[in-house]
Amino acid sequence: MPESLFSTAKLPGSDDITRKQFGNGAILLTRPNNSSPAVSIRGYLPPGSAAEPPEKYGLVNFLASMLTAGTRRRTFRELHNEIESMGASLSIGAGGLATSFAAQCLREDLPRMLEIMKEVFSEPSFPAKQFQRIKTQILTIIAIQAQDTAAMADQAFDRAIYRAHPYAIPELGFPETVQMISREDLEAFHQRYMGPKGLVAAISGGIQPAEALDAFERTLGTWVNIDQQAQPELPPVEPLTGIIREHVTLQEKSQTDLVMGTFAPKTTGPDFLPAQLGNEILGQFGMMGRIGEAVREKAGLAYYAQSELGMGLGPITWQVVAGVNPNNVDKAIALIRKELSRFTTELVTEEELADVRSAVVGRLPLSLESNAGIASALLNLERYKHSLDYIRELPARIAAVTREDILRVAQTYWQLDNMVIASAGVALS
Amino acid sequence: MPETLITHTLDNGLRLLIREIHTAPIASCWIWYGVGSRNEVPGKTGLSHWVEHMQFKGTAQRSASWMDHAVARLGGHWNAFTSPDWTTYFETLPASALETALALEADRMRGSLFDPAEVETERTVILSEREGLENDPLFLLNEAVQLRAYQHHPYRGEVIGAKEDLLALTREDLYGHYQNYYQPANALLCLAGDIEPRRALDLVQKFFGGIQGSPFNKHQPAPEEDLPEFERVDLRGPGDTTFIEIAWRAPKGNSEEFFAFTILESLLTGPSSLNMFGGGGISNRTSRLYLALVEKELAVSVNGSLNASIDPGTFSINLTKHPARSVDQLLAALDREIKKIQSKPIALAEIDRAVKQAKALFAYGSDNITNHGFWMGYANSFADYSWFTEYVQRLAAVSPEQVTNIARKYLRPDARVIGVYTPNGEEARDA
Repeated sequence: MPESLFSTAKLPGSDDITRKQFGNGAILLTRPNNSSPAVSIRGYLPPGSAAEPPEKYGLVNFLASMLTAGTRRRTFRELHNEIESMGASLSIGAGGLATSFAAQCLREDLPRMLEIMKEVFSEPSFPAKQFQRIKTQILTIIAIQAQDTAAMADQAFDRAIYRAHPYAIPELGFPETVQMISREDLEAFHQRYMGPKGLVAAISGGIQPAEALDAFERTLGTWVNIDQQAQPELPPVEPLTGIIREHVTLQEKSQTDLVMGTFAPKTTGPDFLPAQLGNEILGQFGMMGRIGEAVREKAGLAYYAQSELGMGLGPITWQVVAGVNPNNVDKAIALIRKELSRFTTELVTEEELADVRSAVVGRLPLSLESNAGIASALLNLERYKHSLDYIRELPARIAAVTREDILRVAQTYWQLDNMVIASAGVALS
Repeated sequence: MPETLITHTLDNGLRLLIREIHTAPIASCWIWYGVGSRNEVPGKTGLSHWVEHMQFKGTAQRSASWMDHAVARLGGHWNAFTSPDWTTYFETLPASALETALALEADRMRGSLFDPAEVETERTVILSEREGLENDPLFLLNEAVQLRAYQHHPYRGEVIGAKEDLLALTREDLYGHYQNYYQPANALLCLAGDIEPRRALDLVQKFFGGIQGSPFNKHQPAPEEDLPEFERVDLRGPGDTTFIEIAWRAPKGNSEEFFAFTILESLLTGPSSLNMFGGGGISNRTSRLYLALVEKELAVSVNGSLNASIDPGTFSINLTKHPARSVDQLLAALDREIKKIQSKPIALAEIDRAVKQAKALFAYGSDNITNHGFWMGYANSFADYSWFTEYVQRLAAVSPEQVTNIARKYLRPDARVIGVYTPNGEEARDA
């Protein structure tokens, strides 16, 4: 086992992670990385796209873009001049359940960066000129995506599997709903939902915990929004019944993108770890696992063909994706179905299980070598309510997963007669 | 910036660089071959990239799945890249497993099988890879622009190769290319991470020391210093968005001018990063062209691209046109900004800012061990490691006058290629 190749005590744990909840509800996790001259900040806060009204789909994505368009204290240009002159970066994006953010700066600039972040979250001014410009940018991105076979296959998959659930809607929205969004909508939505309650941030880098806590407390720790409301609860998803086949026709495309999938186990549930190891065997390990071996290596049908297990607090999916020549779509589907059939009827081999146990554990130091990797891992501890020692305990949990666990989970979630098959490319022959 | 570097050359000509970094129990092993699409001839394009794919198909000693699983089960990752100037392979894994990477790379330096059946399977995989690229209008636009940016130099073609060549190349073509270029004397091995140098040297000697090279012929194209005369190329395709790419000649990576050009690029289109793995980037919202074109609602986005290369390359600006504006309006505004940087004094503070951004980008990328292995080999592909270690220092030494002069020399309106991708149904050219 590769855990013998490194010490789990060197992984983040309760003795080197500091977690604090501030009086306004915001939570910070931090871990120092003394060798780094830089700092990475990752986090999320409400709202998410699932809270949007149907006639204003795309509202949260628009809001995320407008947060850095100007504040009550600084114009667009002043704000970005401040950030870019520090050699720093700040990006904010929409997700289903939350708005996410990522920033990095040199360690000496952390207090300034946190001040800017508080300003953009709490005091956006939604300047009219930037509003129109950003609306055009979003509409252009939607137009570019409409010609992207991978994005269109994904959207067709989401529509088919989520149906009436908010996750069926692309986070960018649709041209007609984005056109309907006004500055007043953004202001009202921001005031109603965006605030420190539900804000979680993680900081990793060349800064000591006391300094990080102090800088955070003086900035985002003092943010108050007395109007902040809780987001609406997510509705349940309807179970899949039968095979749903969707195809989006796009002219003059050389490759067709294919997405096949079903609902995945809950990230916080007991089935997730067996599913994660099973997914490695199915379509990740080495050169894209069994799916890659069958579709790419043996049949030569695709440049990429792999499986992907989603993570998140909402209803998530387990997919197999591939990019194939339009003439080979049916052949690729048949090969993938054959592999799924084997996955759901036969135990994985002892060797396969040993390989992926070893791979997932061995990957831990690599995923945690960078500040951004550590900050993301800290954020997931909070998001999924894991203990601060969860990462150190992971090797033992992985060792406990059996072949029978993987088969049971595969059979529970993958049913060959109940799945969505979506594709996008030239018209099907 | 890195301080210590161990260099060594084996008797067979293999060069070795080792950089110790003990921040994480990880090592990254990179082997760089001095071959890329630059060394290909018309009719045989795509050879270097296809050979790279075949390097994952097994040797007499190790099957494809053995190699793949050996790295993966350690939790490591491995991959390869082919560029115009080089082909490189890397493994990043727990430091105590460095031997696995070295054994694998030594084996496939001369021992790959190129099984004829595997060659045929890979042909369709590579055609599929190309088809995926062709789905993107920006790929098609870049392919058309680069083709016109050179008269004969191989930089005019895409690394993946022309479709007709990919259909015609044979197993003998591929194996011949491999046998010729995959030689110890045409390779550089770079090791970075939690490494004990003495042990690493012993392992390198053990695995690579016995590999015998043979004389090899390196196709060296004549550099093209000047761009052909002004040319515009129009493409049509599906969609609703107009894209524009403008390409000028740029100085080669190993030249003083390259650093002034890097500052020029940063001022015009924002800082670009040498980080291959993580580290992120810095936005370009206060760059001159963003303010003049995006802020003024002539374009929806603007980006620049400058790569350090062996021979003079190209500097490209990519624009996404605002739907309410014309191509001519956008190009006229672009030309005004270029004229401004060529004619008006540049403030030193603007250069200092670009230097701070470059320094920050290195800080963000340097916590990733894999980046260090990349940087060592990349710098050596067209210069030497000092190019990288002195990068920020050399940027800081650039004067405003040098940037002005570089802009005047290279960004000429009569020596550039303009490519325009227009959606079907729209007028291709303005009245």
